[in-house]
Amino acid sequence: MSTSRATRSSGAYLVIAIVAVIDLVLLYGVTLMYAQGELAFAMLVLVLAAVGSWVFISRKGYNYRYVYPSLLGVITFIVFPLIYTVNVAFTNYSSNHLLSLERVRAIHLAKTYRTGGESFSFKMYQEGPSFRLMLTSAAGGEEHYLTEPFTDSEEPQSLNAFESSHVPTGAVLPIREVIKKRSILKKLDIVLPDGTELAMTSLRKFGAIAKVYRPDDHTDRQYPEQSFALIDNRTEETIYPDIETGYYTNEDGTEQIGPGFTIYTGWDNFVRVFTDPGIQGPFLKIFSWTVIFAALSVAFTLVIGLLMACLVQWEPLKGNGVYRLLLILPYAVPAFISILIFRGLFNQNFGEINLLLDMLFGIKPEWFSNELLAKSMVIIVNTWLGYPYMMILCIGLLKSIPDDLYEASGIDGASPAQNLFHITIPMIIKPLIPLLIASFAFNFNNLVLIALLTDGAPDMLHATTPAGATDILVSYTFRIAFGSYGQDYGLASAIATVIFLMVGFIAWINLKATRRLQ
Amino acid sequence: MAMVQPRNLKYRVWTARIVMWLFLLVILFPFFMIISVSLRTGNFATGSLIPENPSLEHWYLALGIPWENADGSITQPPFPVLTWLWNSIKVAITSSALILILATTGAYAFARLRFRFKQQMLTAMMILQMFPAVLALVAIYSLFDQIGDYIPWLGLDSLGSVTLAYLGGMALHIWLIKGYFETIDNSLEEAAAIDGATPWQAFRFVLLPLSVPILAVVFILAFIASIAEYPVASVLLQSMDNLTLAVGSRQYLNPQNYLWGDFAAAAVLSGFPITIIFLACQRWIVGGLTSGGVKG
Amino acid sequence: MAEVKLVNIAKSYDQGQTWTLKDINLDIGNGEFIAFIGPSGCGKSTLLRMICGLEDITSGELSIDGEKVNDWPPNERRVGMVFQSYALYPHMSVAENMAFGLKLAKAKKSVVDERVDEAARILQLQALLERKPKAMSGGQRQRVAIGRSIVQQPRVFLFDEPLSNLDVALRVQMRQEIARLHRRLQTTSIYVTHDQVEAMTLADQIVVLSPLAQGAATNLEQVGKPLELYHHPANLFVAGFIGSPKMNFFDGVIEKGGEEETYIRLTTGETLKAFVDTSKADPGSRVVLGIRPEHTLAETDNGNAVDGRIEALERLGAESFIYMSHDTIREHFIVRVEDSLRREEGSRIRVELPPEHCYLFDANGIAFKRTRAPEIDQ
Repeated sequence: MSTSRATRSSGAYLVIAIVAVIDLVLLYGVTLMYAQGELAFAMLVLVLAAVGSWVFISRKGYNYRYVYPSLLGVITFIVFPLIYTVNVAFTNYSSNHLLSLERVRAIHLAKTYRTGGESFSFKMYQEGPSFRLMLTSAAGGEEHYLTEPFTDSEEPQSLNAFESSHVPTGAVLPIREVIKKRSILKKLDIVLPDGTELAMTSLRKFGAIAKVYRPDDHTDRQYPEQSFALIDNRTEETIYPDIETGYYTNEDGTEQIGPGFTIYTGWDNFVRVFTDPGIQGPFLKIFSWTVIFAALSVAFTLVIGLLMACLVQWEPLKGNGVYRLLLILPYAVPAFISILIFRGLFNQNFGEINLLLDMLFGIKPEWFSNELLAKSMVIIVNTWLGYPYMMILCIGLLKSIPDDLYEASGIDGASPAQNLFHITIPMIIKPLIPLLIASFAFNFNNLVLIALLTDGAPDMLHATTPAGATDILVSYTFRIAFGSYGQDYGLASAIATVIFLMVGFIAWINLKATRRLQ
Repeated sequence: MAMVQPRNLKYRVWTARIVMWLFLLVILFPFFMIISVSLRTGNFATGSLIPENPSLEHWYLALGIPWENADGSITQPPFPVLTWLWNSIKVAITSSALILILATTGAYAFARLRFRFKQQMLTAMMILQMFPAVLALVAIYSLFDQIGDYIPWLGLDSLGSVTLAYLGGMALHIWLIKGYFETIDNSLEEAAAIDGATPWQAFRFVLLPLSVPILAVVFILAFIASIAEYPVASVLLQSMDNLTLAVGSRQYLNPQNYLWGDFAAAAVLSGFPITIIFLACQRWIVGGLTSGGVKG
Repeated sequence: MAEVKLVNIAKSYDQGQTWTLKDINLDIGNGEFIAFIGPSGCGKSTLLRMICGLEDITSGELSIDGEKVNDWPPNERRVGMVFQSYALYPHMSVAENMAFGLKLAKAKKSVVDERVDEAARILQLQALLERKPKAMSGGQRQRVAIGRSIVQQPRVFLFDEPLSNLDVALRVQMRQEIARLHRRLQTTSIYVTHDQVEAMTLADQIVVLSPLAQGAATNLEQVGKPLELYHHPANLFVAGFIGSPKMNFFDGVIEKGGEEETYIRLTTGETLKAFVDTSKADPGSRVVLGIRPEHTLAETDNGNAVDGRIEALERLGAESFIYMSHDTIREHFIVRVEDSLRREEGSRIRVELPPEHCYLFDANGIAFKRTRAPEIDQ
């Protein structure tokens, strides 16, 4: 007996060893993050690592060992993004305000300008793995400067140069090779003995440069953000970060100096959604279309799915298995392929659907530019995509209805329609309701369909951000965040937050419906 | 049902069959069409269902083989379709396997073990699985941007990032597997414990072998879901050679560069294996969907 | 083989707000066959599951062979268990089912084969070794379940209502097989059942448990040999639980107590004599008089009889039960008669309650000592 208990403890040591190794790696990562100022990330990883270690070492945590990995996955990839999105909704995070204030300040401090002094032509010499530059004054003269050797590195390098009359030993690189190395050369900062700094100004020249800004060292500060203030070396004017607009501005606030930084803007994005006419108008239209789209999709797929399920389940039909297989086909083909196929088939000029309609009726509907037609097309395609799923669910539910109910109604002389409305539907509606709600929620967020089929087309007029007649809320959000015209993550997140509330509401209703079922 | 057969059964059966055939004709029209288009010459040719001048040019291009036109000029394949397909398969297999492992252990805990907040966690999972990743794309983009600073192969424009992001889909599968585990008699694992099995051994040697059907269903469902996923991949992936099929296919139908015929061949080529996998596993998938769905 | 010792064992599922089991003390000797019996909800299965480690022990101390095993997981306790549902692994053959535990313990193949063969021989399973559980009858599965425990050579055998899924005939047969097996292996066994016939026929000692009443100190009612429980129940609960049909109870007060015999006046006014020692009880205190249906004598009056009306008759052939009404009776008044003489429902008869067969309980349900009952070897 004692032996088996002993082996357990040796197994435990192994677990502890593994956990310790993982923790060491994670701790290293945490230190890195902390060093880079990513405090939130560092804390998150630290907490997760600590909990994980406890779960896998402590006997009390044993039962959590099985859930911890999956919980970790759910938290990292569902919960954390949700919270992060809500957080972004309160900022001006966008393509113009991508970076933190510290990073923007660093960018400003790195800015240089040509001072207009001497310029130097250069030659690049290779000495084994490293390089040297020989700089010759454009004004002429015998003496030239030689830099320290430097290597093939993508990092910015600062090199001292010294006066010399010798020519370096290595081979001169031809201009072709120099062009290839220009990304390295661009990052060089060469300091001459008199303190002048040189940077690459053209493919053949280095010129004197100076920093545009220097930090403002005054200590009497009214606001904390003023410690980020910078002084323009050219004009001696002070610029301040403006936490209202997310830009550096000059003293009187007339000039904004990019790039902008990310700031918290409170409810601004939400206020924009509900008051800015260029957003509010499209938003409300898109919202109602989203609801109509999702509801109609559920309704049509359900009706067709249920009818087909009844047909396929009807034994006298014969060949039911083959029919079922063929009916499921639209579900079996990956949706992105079918949607793109429809996009092509519905094409106004080359699409086969219009060719057919032209042949039969002499019409060529504008599927992508007429609002109503575009909407009908979206619904038609979505019904095509979605009815097999409903059919599958209905077949499952129909199987659970006892046959003797139909036998009894058959003796009473019921017609198939009476059977459908008085037996089949009442019997399956209750377990079906949660599934219908889930289907509604799925279509509510059916980005793939809209993004691949119409991409929102036709576009709405008078919209601040791109919005289309067939856009649903998620595709609208998607275009604001990742569209080709300026990316406003803050606004997109605000709309996403509103969608969260709606989805949460739907989920809550679904939960109620499911509970009632049990 | 068979007992009571009205006199007009024959007439009804034929009506039903004709309705079914017409419906199937409409439903299957896109598939006939796309195969036909893939065999036409050029990208703008129109014509009947059976192409007049069948040509394999689009198929050559889809398979990555340059095509020599009638006038002697060479058309290079526009996109690396096979690379995209391979990317999709790599991502799908890895993410489905990870989802399977995590969802199975998680479901085991929820079905069998006692711990605090279990019920709350389950309800949370049920609600969370209704929030698609689409809603948090900004966050996912940003998350992988940050991760990329430390682990480049998980950063933006890497297949690793997409694989990892797909793990968020596991909440639903936890429910599915948990439902199945609960149909298996708990005393089997208790018997194993008495027989000297550690909880891990009871899970590994008793519960898992009995759950192979549901594990297969979950793997296939996750596989298909990740093959067909578009939004996350479209945001995370950028360079041409890193795209998955779902993101890449879209490139064909740009208004500026409309490659209808090439798309058709690529669509048939890449859609075919996935469709076959689905149909082959149809029985299990349907079973899994309905049982999981009905139980909620 | 081992001794099992339970000291102050208690179980609560909600951190002590309500208790399922409380203050259970038991000493199970080496090789003994113990049965836990009680109505559903008394915690007998829970107690068994605590012994094998499938349930945590909330408080108290459990030791097997002198080692405290409270915190040992089930896989380390070296006990064998036969489940009510058999719990055979459906994906393994009979042989694999029985060998599973030994394989986990990394036993040599020769040892595994030898033990499995032996168990199969004992249980007559040789012909079924390659079958899957699905393809076997209930009785065969039950045997495999037992065989699976045997090959492990556990220190203690635990049986959780093993026969309740079998039909009556099979149950009798399996009962005898279990008895034979115990005689042969002499392993300490604990057997949970709600069927008192199984308990009485199989067990050396019976532990009677009751659902824990509000505020009760323990739900262990009595531990004793089968006949001891029958003849000397410690209290009203055990008296009512052991025996079929149930014992009849009459409400009354002590009219005249004594060391040898006691006179009880029923609330209806009849006075009855019982051979019990009530010397420590006060005259006039409330008591309950009990008598088993099989000890009553219908239509007889030897001076210790009560009068009642026949409500219903059950004729079973070899014996008949008369359901009577009587004003002081609790629940029911059943009289067993051997003959199937014609008796009219609704007619009144007198029933003799022989004083040497009477049981007497005080107001708290504690039994008074019977003075003329058969002696049981302690």
